[in-house]
Amino acid sequence: MKPSSFDYAVPRTLDEAVALLNGDPAAKLIAGGQTLGPMLNLRLVQPTLLIDITRIPELTRIEETGDGIVFGACVTHAAFEDGRVPDPAGGALRRVARGIAYRAVRTRGTIGGSLAHADPAADWLSCLAALGAEVIAYDGHGRRTMPVATLMTGVFETAIREGEILEGVRVPRPSKQARFGYYKICRKTGEFAEAIGAVLFDPERGVHRAVAGATEAPPIVIEDAAAFLQEDGDLDAVKARLGEHGLTDPYSLQLHAVALQRAAMEAWL
Amino acid sequence: MRNITLTVNGQSVTAQVEPRTHLADFLREHLALTGTHLGCEHGVCGACTVAVNGEIARSCITYAVQCDGAEVTTIEGFDDDALMARLREAFTTKHGLQCGYCTPGMLIAARDLVRRFEQADARLIREEMSGNLCRCTGYMGIVAAVEQVMAERAELAALPPSQATLGPAPGPAAQISGQDRQPSAPARAAEAESRRAVPTADLEEISEEGLITLEQSFVVDHPPAEVWEFFGNLPQVARCMPGAAITKVSGDRLEGEIRVKLGPITAAFAGQGRITRDAAARRATIVGQGRDTRSGSRARGRIVYVVNDDAHGGTRVEVEIGYALAGTLAHFGRGGIVIDLANRLTQAFAENLKTRLAGGDTQTADGSAPAALDAGGLVWSVLWERLKAALRRLVGGR
Repeated sequence: MKPSSFDYAVPRTLDEAVALLNGDPAAKLIAGGQTLGPMLNLRLVQPTLLIDITRIPELTRIEETGDGIVFGACVTHAAFEDGRVPDPAGGALRRVARGIAYRAVRTRGTIGGSLAHADPAADWLSCLAALGAEVIAYDGHGRRTMPVATLMTGVFETAIREGEILEGVRVPRPSKQARFGYYKICRKTGEFAEAIGAVLFDPERGVHRAVAGATEAPPIVIEDAAAFLQEDGDLDAVKARLGEHGLTDPYSLQLHAVALQRAAMEAWL
Repeated sequence: MRNITLTVNGQSVTAQVEPRTHLADFLREHLALTGTHLGCEHGVCGACTVAVNGEIARSCITYAVQCDGAEVTTIEGFDDDALMARLREAFTTKHGLQCGYCTPGMLIAARDLVRRFEQADARLIREEMSGNLCRCTGYMGIVAAVEQVMAERAELAALPPSQATLGPAPGPAAQISGQDRQPSAPARAAEAESRRAVPTADLEEISEEGLITLEQSFVVDHPPAEVWEFFGNLPQVARCMPGAAITKVSGDRLEGEIRVKLGPITAAFAGQGRITRDAAARRATIVGQGRDTRSGSRARGRIVYVVNDDAHGGTRVEVEIGYALAGTLAHFGRGGIVIDLANRLTQAFAENLKTRLAGGDTQTADGSAPAALDAGGLVWSVLWERLKAALRRLVGGR
């Protein structure tokens, strides 16, 4: 349970961090280290260099605009939980953050780290995909954005390229009438979910989005959720739609359909 | 080694540490603060819970170098804390401990809970304390102790707020004593090289016991005879497999390597194989085994493929894969993800095969083997299960 040796660097700017990342193909970024730490200790990951990005001021920035908020990648789950950052989605982020792992993890684990790590059962991935958020990636020359919905390409794999840093996430502001529902099924408090359902119902902006997360693959994002998700709706209709997206195992299908249905009921009520 | 300066229980401490030294080891081994206990040492059990800038954290997955400039408080640092005194008393009277191993972490987590909540019922206490494991008490006494102190909370003086930053403490404003922001000489290159010896194996003795099997199939638009002939050329076949390279073929023996990548986890399994081809049945069996020299994990497996006619004049290739892992990855199960990744790997192989059969080349521009398939090859897909078992309890959705 001791990591193999690695070197350590503490850049103070994003450009320094990118340069370090490009200078060593076996380097890894570390923010809170709440997932990377265990993997290092178990020697599942053996980087030559850890680049600690938590001392870069831009990465804890909060930028509010009329239609959304940009959160720096290093904002912790606890900062959301404690209401120390604004919540564009009327408390949805705060509630989801509070359900992530345990307090001692939330104080160090970060929103950007969670997204970049791309565990399919991570809360932010499903929640932010439902809210229509985008991540911002910086490569030393410029920035590009991509939707959280398509960020994850496979287990632990994302569309972030080599030499790019996931710098922040932009969460759009839903309209005042928007309803958000989130439900996760896990056996023990704080554990990774077995199924996540997230629903954003925002008729004013024409958004009726459902996300089935924790599928052991990238989240399933369905844009016409109103067509099959209703309050006290038919679970078979939900299963049929999830089936079209490749969920076939009956147990998994049931869990995900129930999670989505409960999220929908929450959003409708 | 790096210089760090931090405050531990109110006292300034400067020390030289290896970057890989976690905070708990630093506290215990460098400062002899053995009240911080290590249970699982990978962030599951909560025994090592300490406060960093007033917020609780797991010191086994927080590295000492990350705490340069931080204020750390261990259980010893709460000796004169009024709230902690109440908790100690309540843990004693309510039987909140037996062996005491989890107790320092329990107390620090409980104090943080009382600090953050004005009210908490038993259910909330259980939720909040769920990151700390106790194997003696069954939790009843612990919950009762925290409930009692919650009830007395109003009598206590105002509790100090944490110095919470938006990012993980200590954050950008903290002083760094380590002057060198750039890394020093590569820490590990020589060490890694010395472990690159390829193991030898007696392939006759590969046990088929305990192999996990998967079945895959795919169709290509070329006649079976052509596909079968292509499969006879092993280096060509390897070029279709993401991350694979064959370094030597002699008779029915081959040596090679397969590189796999699952997010931050990378490995290169080097080893030997033996192939048996039955031309009449167009059926071949490959057995092999290899070792990832970095993690010390070993893999063995068997691939059986049959080249059949497809209804539309093409070829259907049926593949049965059996594999097993030992070493770091000894404990694993099997889940939907294995099938999912096997599908992806088979698809990638089939696509590359079609390209090559059509006269194309799957070589990369510099002539090297195709890149390792992101999201893992077959072997590493089982790691997912291993990770779920080992990490799930701790990393919960973070």
